[in-house]
Amino acid sequence: MRHVASELTALVDGALPEGRRAEVEEHLAACAECRAERERLAAVGRVLSALPAPPEPPPGFEQRFYARLAREKASRPSLRERILRSPWRWAAPAAGLGAAAAVAFGVAQVRRDRLEMARHLDLLENYVVVASLDSVESVEDVEVVEHLHELSEGRP
Amino acid sequence: MARDPDAALMLAFQGGDEAAFRALFEKHGRAMMAFCQRFVKEPARAEELAQDVFLKLYRSADRYAPSARFTTFLYRIATNHCLNEVRRGEYRHRPERDPGGDEGEARDPDSLAGEGASPEEELSGRALEDSVRALLERLPEKQRAAFVLARFEHMPYEEIAVVLATTVSSVKSLVHRATVAAAAALAPWSPDAGGKAEP
Repeated sequence: MRHVASELTALVDGALPEGRRAEVEEHLAACAECRAERERLAAVGRVLSALPAPPEPPPGFEQRFYARLAREKASRPSLRERILRSPWRWAAPAAGLGAAAAVAFGVAQVRRDRLEMARHLDLLENYVVVASLDSVESVEDVEVVEHLHELSEGRP
Repeated sequence: MARDPDAALMLAFQGGDEAAFRALFEKHGRAMMAFCQRFVKEPARAEELAQDVFLKLYRSADRYAPSARFTTFLYRIATNHCLNEVRRGEYRHRPERDPGGDEGEARDPDSLAGEGASPEEELSGRALEDSVRALLERLPEKQRAAFVLARFEHMPYEEIAVVLATTVSSVKSLVHRATVAAAAALAPWSPDAGGKAEP
Protein backbone atom coordinates (compact mmCIF):
# COMPACT_ATOMS: atom_id res chain seq x y z
CA MET A 1 0.00 0.00 0.00
CA ARG A 2 1.23 3.50 -0.84
CA HIS A 3 1.97 6.02 1.87
CA VAL A 4 -1.09 7.74 3.25
CA ALA A 5 0.31 11.11 4.32
CA SER A 6 -2.44 13.10 2.62
CA GLU A 7 -5.08 11.24 4.63
CA LEU A 8 -3.46 11.62 8.02
CA THR A 9 -4.90 15.00 9.00
CA ALA A 10 -8.40 13.75 8.25
CA LEU A 11 -7.61 10.61 10.25
CA VAL A 12 -6.46 12.67 13.24
CA ASP A 13 -9.60 14.84 12.89
CA GLY A 14 -11.85 11.76 12.78
CA ALA A 15 -13.03 12.84 9.34
CA LEU A 16 -12.26 9.71 7.32
CA PRO A 17 -15.10 7.41 6.31
CA GLU A 18 -15.12 4.13 8.25
CA GLY A 19 -13.81 1.94 5.44
CA ARG A 20 -11.00 4.27 4.50
CA ARG A 21 -10.03 4.76 8.12
CA ALA A 22 -9.53 1.02 8.53
CA GLU A 23 -7.31 0.92 5.43
CA VAL A 24 -5.19 3.85 6.61
CA GLU A 25 -4.80 2.36 10.07
CA GLU A 26 -3.77 -0.93 8.55
CA HIS A 27 -1.07 0.92 6.61
CA LEU A 28 0.04 2.76 9.74
CA ALA A 29 0.54 -0.50 11.58
CA ALA A 30 3.18 -1.42 9.03
CA CYS A 31 4.70 1.99 8.18
CA ALA A 32 6.85 3.83 10.71
CA GLU A 33 7.26 6.80 8.38
CA CYS A 34 3.51 7.44 8.19
CA ARG A 35 3.14 6.84 11.93
CA ALA A 36 5.75 9.54 12.59
CA GLU A 37 3.92 11.90 10.23
CA ARG A 38 0.63 11.23 12.00
CA GLU A 39 2.24 12.16 15.32
CA ARG A 40 3.70 15.32 13.82
CA LEU A 41 0.26 16.40 12.55
CA ALA A 42 -1.53 15.41 15.76
CA ALA A 43 0.93 17.54 17.73
CA VAL A 44 -0.45 20.66 16.04
CA GLY A 45 -3.74 20.27 17.88
CA ARG A 46 -1.91 19.81 21.18
CA VAL A 47 0.20 22.94 20.62
CA LEU A 48 -2.85 25.02 19.70
CA SER A 49 -4.67 23.83 22.80
CA ALA A 50 -1.88 25.46 24.83
CA LEU A 51 -2.73 28.89 23.41
CA PRO A 52 -4.04 31.35 25.96
CA ALA A 53 -7.76 31.98 25.86
CA PRO A 54 -8.70 34.76 23.44
CA PRO A 55 -8.75 38.15 25.12
CA GLU A 56 -12.11 39.34 26.36
CA PRO A 57 -13.46 42.32 24.46
CA PRO A 58 -13.10 45.58 26.32
CA PRO A 59 -16.01 46.58 28.56
CA GLY A 60 -18.99 47.97 26.70
CA PHE A 61 -18.69 45.51 23.81
CA GLU A 62 -22.43 44.94 23.50
CA GLN A 63 -23.33 48.59 24.10
CA ARG A 64 -20.94 49.77 21.39
CA PHE A 65 -22.54 47.40 18.91
CA TYR A 66 -26.09 48.39 19.80
CA ALA A 67 -25.13 52.06 19.49
CA ARG A 68 -23.64 51.42 16.04
CA LEU A 69 -26.68 49.42 15.01
CA ALA A 70 -28.96 52.26 16.10
CA ARG A 71 -26.82 54.80 14.21
CA GLU A 72 -26.85 52.72 11.04
CA LYS A 73 -30.59 52.15 11.26
CA ALA A 74 -31.18 55.88 11.76
CA SER A 75 -28.83 56.96 8.98
CA ARG A 76 -29.61 54.30 6.42
CA PRO A 77 -30.50 56.25 3.30
CA SER A 78 -33.79 55.78 1.55
CA LEU A 79 -33.91 53.49 -1.43
CA ARG A 80 -34.01 56.48 -3.77
CA GLU A 81 -30.87 57.96 -2.14
CA ARG A 82 -29.10 54.63 -2.35
CA ILE A 83 -29.93 54.39 -6.03
CA LEU A 84 -28.62 57.91 -6.66
CA ARG A 85 -25.37 57.12 -4.82
CA SER A 86 -25.01 53.71 -6.34
CA PRO A 87 -22.65 52.88 -9.19
CA TRP A 88 -25.84 51.47 -10.73
CA ARG A 89 -27.36 54.92 -11.11
CA TRP A 90 -26.19 55.00 -14.71
CA ALA A 91 -28.26 51.93 -15.38
CA ALA A 92 -31.59 53.74 -15.18
CA PRO A 93 -30.83 56.26 -17.91
CA ALA A 94 -28.99 53.54 -19.81
CA ALA A 95 -32.06 51.38 -19.59
CA GLY A 96 -34.11 54.35 -20.75
CA LEU A 97 -31.73 54.97 -23.64
CA GLY A 98 -31.85 51.31 -24.49
CA ALA A 99 -35.59 51.42 -24.50
CA ALA A 100 -35.55 54.60 -26.62
CA ALA A 101 -33.15 53.00 -29.06
CA ALA A 102 -35.40 50.01 -29.22
CA VAL A 103 -38.38 52.27 -29.91
CA ALA A 104 -36.45 54.08 -32.66
CA PHE A 105 -35.44 50.76 -34.04
CA GLY A 106 -39.02 49.62 -33.90
CA VAL A 107 -40.27 52.79 -35.59
CA ALA A 108 -37.70 52.46 -38.36
CA GLN A 109 -38.82 48.92 -38.81
CA VAL A 110 -42.47 49.81 -38.88
CA ARG A 111 -43.24 46.68 -40.67
CA ARG A 112 -42.60 44.64 -37.57
CA ASP A 113 -45.65 44.11 -35.50
CA ARG A 114 -46.08 45.50 -31.98
CA LEU A 115 -45.51 42.22 -30.27
CA GLU A 116 -42.11 41.88 -31.90
CA MET A 117 -41.14 45.40 -30.75
CA ALA A 118 -42.21 44.70 -27.19
CA ARG A 119 -39.94 41.68 -27.15
CA HIS A 120 -36.99 43.85 -28.22
CA LEU A 121 -37.77 46.37 -25.52
CA ASP A 122 -37.81 43.71 -22.89
CA LEU A 123 -34.58 42.23 -24.17
CA LEU A 124 -32.75 45.55 -24.23
CA GLU A 125 -33.90 46.51 -20.76
CA ASN A 126 -32.85 43.18 -19.36
CA TYR A 127 -29.53 43.31 -21.16
CA VAL A 128 -28.45 46.36 -19.21
CA VAL A 129 -29.01 44.49 -15.99
CA VAL A 130 -27.78 41.07 -17.00
CA ALA A 131 -24.63 42.33 -18.73
CA SER A 132 -23.57 43.95 -15.47
CA LEU A 133 -24.30 41.14 -13.04
CA ASP A 134 -20.58 40.55 -12.46
CA SER A 135 -20.56 43.86 -10.63
CA VAL A 136 -23.24 42.82 -8.19
CA GLU A 137 -21.43 42.36 -4.91
CA SER A 138 -24.08 42.51 -2.28
CA VAL A 139 -27.72 42.02 -1.62
CA GLU A 140 -28.03 45.79 -1.47
CA ASP A 141 -26.87 46.00 -5.09
CA VAL A 142 -29.50 43.50 -6.13
CA GLU A 143 -32.11 45.46 -4.24
CA VAL A 144 -31.04 48.63 -6.01
CA VAL A 145 -31.18 46.95 -9.40
CA GLU A 146 -34.59 45.53 -8.65
CA HIS A 147 -35.92 49.02 -7.95
CA LEU A 148 -34.19 50.95 -10.71
CA HIS A 149 -37.46 51.52 -12.50
CA GLU A 150 -38.71 53.51 -9.51
CA LEU A 151 -36.04 56.13 -10.15
CA SER A 152 -37.26 56.88 -13.65
CA GLU A 153 -40.82 56.89 -12.32
CA GLY A 154 -39.82 59.41 -9.63
CA ARG A 155 -41.06 57.31 -6.75
CA PRO A 156 -39.19 57.21 -3.43
CA MET B 1 -32.60 21.78 12.47
CA ALA B 2 -35.80 22.98 14.08
CA ARG B 3 -34.17 22.16 17.41
CA ASP B 4 -31.37 24.63 16.79
CA PRO B 5 -32.25 27.32 19.34
CA ASP B 6 -30.29 29.88 17.35
CA ALA B 7 -32.34 29.06 14.27
CA ALA B 8 -35.47 29.66 16.32
CA LEU B 9 -34.10 33.05 17.39
CA MET B 10 -33.26 33.90 13.81
CA LEU B 11 -36.76 32.99 12.70
CA ALA B 12 -38.17 35.13 15.49
CA PHE B 13 -36.02 38.01 14.29
CA GLN B 14 -37.26 37.47 10.75
CA GLY B 15 -40.70 37.90 12.24
CA GLY B 16 -39.70 41.29 13.66
CA ASP B 17 -38.49 40.33 17.14
CA GLU B 18 -35.45 42.59 17.70
CA ALA B 19 -34.84 41.05 21.12
CA ALA B 20 -34.13 37.76 19.36
CA PHE B 21 -31.39 39.44 17.34
CA ARG B 22 -29.88 40.87 20.50
CA ALA B 23 -29.93 37.43 22.07
CA LEU B 24 -27.97 36.09 19.09
CA PHE B 25 -25.41 38.87 19.38
CA GLU B 26 -25.04 38.35 23.10
CA LYS B 27 -24.52 34.63 22.56
CA HIS B 28 -22.13 34.76 19.59
CA GLY B 29 -20.69 38.30 19.49
CA ARG B 30 -17.65 37.64 21.67
CA ALA B 31 -16.81 34.37 19.93
CA MET B 32 -17.12 36.24 16.65
CA MET B 33 -14.59 38.79 17.81
CA ALA B 34 -12.19 35.96 18.69
CA PHE B 35 -12.76 34.47 15.23
CA CYS B 36 -12.06 37.82 13.54
CA GLN B 37 -8.93 38.12 15.64
CA ARG B 38 -7.49 35.22 13.64
CA PHE B 39 -7.57 37.45 10.55
CA VAL B 40 -6.47 40.84 11.87
CA LYS B 41 -3.93 41.85 14.45
CA GLU B 42 -5.56 44.68 16.34
CA PRO B 43 -8.30 43.76 18.81
CA ALA B 44 -10.10 47.02 18.05
CA ARG B 45 -10.23 46.08 14.36
CA ALA B 46 -11.42 42.58 15.26
CA GLU B 47 -14.25 44.12 17.26
CA GLU B 48 -15.14 46.33 14.31
CA LEU B 49 -15.18 43.31 12.00
CA ALA B 50 -17.37 41.36 14.41
CA GLN B 51 -19.77 44.31 14.46
CA ASP B 52 -19.73 44.39 10.64
CA VAL B 53 -20.64 40.70 10.56
CA PHE B 54 -23.65 41.21 12.81
CA LEU B 55 -24.74 44.26 10.86
CA LYS B 56 -24.65 42.13 7.71
CA LEU B 57 -26.58 39.45 9.56
CA TYR B 58 -29.14 42.08 10.56
CA ARG B 59 -29.57 43.24 6.98
CA SER B 60 -29.61 39.80 5.39
CA ALA B 61 -31.79 38.02 7.93
CA ASP B 62 -34.46 37.41 5.32
CA ARG B 63 -32.01 35.24 3.38
CA TYR B 64 -31.62 32.81 6.25
CA ALA B 65 -33.41 29.51 5.77
CA PRO B 66 -33.65 27.17 8.75
CA SER B 67 -32.35 24.31 6.60
CA ALA B 68 -28.88 25.62 7.48
CA ARG B 69 -27.53 25.75 11.01
CA PHE B 70 -27.44 29.29 12.25
CA THR B 71 -23.71 29.14 12.98
CA THR B 72 -23.04 27.90 9.45
CA PHE B 73 -24.89 30.92 8.08
CA LEU B 74 -23.12 33.25 10.51
CA TYR B 75 -19.63 31.92 9.84
CA ARG B 76 -20.19 32.03 6.11
CA ILE B 77 -20.86 35.75 6.38
CA ALA B 78 -17.94 36.16 8.78
CA THR B 79 -15.42 34.19 6.72
CA ASN B 80 -16.25 36.10 3.55
CA HIS B 81 -15.99 39.38 5.40
CA CYS B 82 -12.68 38.54 7.08
CA LEU B 83 -11.13 37.25 3.86
CA ASN B 84 -12.19 40.43 2.09
CA GLU B 85 -10.50 42.35 4.86
CA VAL B 86 -7.32 40.30 4.47
CA ARG B 87 -7.40 40.91 0.71
CA ARG B 88 -7.77 44.63 1.17
CA GLY B 89 -5.07 44.62 3.83
CA GLU B 90 -6.12 48.07 5.02
CA TYR B 91 -5.82 47.12 8.64
CA ARG B 92 -2.09 46.62 8.20
CA HIS B 93 -1.69 50.30 7.51
CA ARG B 94 -3.85 51.58 10.31
CA PRO B 95 -1.97 53.54 12.93
CA GLU B 96 -1.57 51.95 16.31
CA ARG B 97 -4.02 53.36 18.80
CA ASP B 98 -2.89 55.16 21.89
CA PRO B 99 -2.48 52.50 24.59
CA GLY B 100 -3.65 55.05 27.15
CA GLY B 101 -6.80 55.78 25.19
CA ASP B 102 -10.23 54.23 25.39
CA GLU B 103 -9.13 51.22 23.37
CA GLY B 104 -6.06 50.64 25.49
CA GLU B 105 -7.49 47.74 27.39
CA ALA B 106 -8.03 45.82 24.18
CA ARG B 107 -4.33 46.06 23.39
CA ASP B 108 -3.09 45.16 26.82
CA PRO B 109 -0.56 42.41 26.13
CA ASP B 110 -1.30 40.88 29.51
CA SER B 111 -4.79 40.15 28.32
CA LEU B 112 -3.37 37.67 25.83
CA ALA B 113 -2.54 35.22 28.55
CA GLY B 114 -5.08 33.33 30.54
CA GLU B 115 -6.04 34.46 33.99
CA GLY B 116 -3.79 33.18 36.70
CA ALA B 117 -0.91 32.45 34.34
CA SER B 118 2.60 32.85 35.72
CA PRO B 119 4.88 35.45 34.09
CA GLU B 120 6.73 32.66 32.32
CA GLU B 121 3.46 31.22 31.04
CA GLU B 122 2.34 34.65 29.91
CA LEU B 123 5.55 35.19 27.99
CA SER B 124 5.34 31.74 26.51
CA GLY B 125 1.68 32.23 25.62
CA ARG B 126 2.38 35.53 23.90
CA ALA B 127 5.27 34.05 21.93
CA LEU B 128 3.11 31.13 20.86
CA GLU B 129 0.36 33.57 19.83
CA ASP B 130 2.90 35.42 17.71
CA SER B 131 4.03 32.19 16.05
CA VAL B 132 0.45 31.18 15.29
CA ARG B 133 -0.33 34.64 13.92
CA ALA B 134 2.75 34.52 11.69
CA LEU B 135 1.69 31.09 10.48
CA LEU B 136 -1.86 32.25 9.68
CA GLU B 137 -0.58 35.28 7.81
CA ARG B 138 1.57 33.06 5.61
CA LEU B 139 -1.19 30.63 4.71
CA PRO B 140 -3.11 31.09 1.45
CA GLU B 141 -6.50 32.56 2.31
CA LYS B 142 -8.65 29.47 1.79
CA GLN B 143 -6.24 27.33 3.79
CA ARG B 144 -6.25 29.95 6.50
CA ALA B 145 -10.03 30.03 6.67
CA ALA B 146 -10.34 26.23 6.65
CA PHE B 147 -7.64 25.90 9.30
CA VAL B 148 -9.22 28.50 11.58
CA LEU B 149 -12.66 26.92 11.24
CA ALA B 150 -11.28 23.43 11.91
CA ARG B 151 -8.75 24.17 14.64
CA PHE B 152 -10.28 27.10 16.51
CA GLU B 153 -14.00 26.75 15.83
CA HIS B 154 -13.82 22.93 15.84
CA MET B 155 -16.18 22.66 12.90
CA PRO B 156 -16.58 19.34 11.12
CA TYR B 157 -15.32 19.21 7.54
CA GLU B 158 -18.88 19.00 6.19
CA GLU B 159 -19.83 22.28 7.84
CA ILE B 160 -16.61 23.97 6.74
CA ALA B 161 -17.46 22.92 3.20
CA VAL B 162 -20.79 24.75 3.46
CA VAL B 163 -19.17 27.83 5.00
CA LEU B 164 -16.52 28.00 2.26
CA ALA B 165 -18.96 26.96 -0.49
CA THR B 166 -16.75 24.09 -1.54
CA THR B 167 -16.59 20.31 -1.32
CA VAL B 168 -15.65 18.15 1.65
CA SER B 169 -12.82 16.75 -0.42
CA SER B 170 -11.48 20.25 -0.98
CA VAL B 171 -11.77 21.04 2.74
CA LYS B 172 -9.84 17.87 3.55
CA SER B 173 -7.04 19.02 1.28
CA LEU B 174 -7.08 22.62 2.57
CA VAL B 175 -6.99 21.58 6.22
CA HIS B 176 -4.29 19.01 5.56
CA ARG B 177 -1.98 21.41 3.74
CA ALA B 178 -2.46 24.05 6.42
CA THR B 179 -1.81 21.49 9.15
CA VAL B 180 1.39 20.35 7.44
CA ALA B 181 2.53 23.99 7.37
CA ALA B 182 1.52 24.38 11.01
CA ALA B 183 3.41 21.24 12.02
CA ALA B 184 6.58 22.73 10.56
CA ALA B 185 6.01 26.24 11.94
CA LEU B 186 5.00 25.11 15.42
CA ALA B 187 7.37 22.15 15.78
CA PRO B 188 9.53 23.95 18.35
CA TRP B 189 6.46 24.31 20.55
CA SER B 190 5.54 20.67 20.45
CA PRO B 191 5.94 18.86 23.77
CA ASP B 192 6.98 15.88 21.67
CA ALA B 193 9.93 17.92 20.41
CA GLY B 194 11.46 18.05 23.88
CA GLY B 195 8.76 19.82 25.84
CA LYS B 196 10.18 23.19 24.98
CA ALA B 197 7.93 26.01 26.11
CA GLU B 198 9.56 28.53 23.82
CA PRO B 199 11.38 28.00 20.56
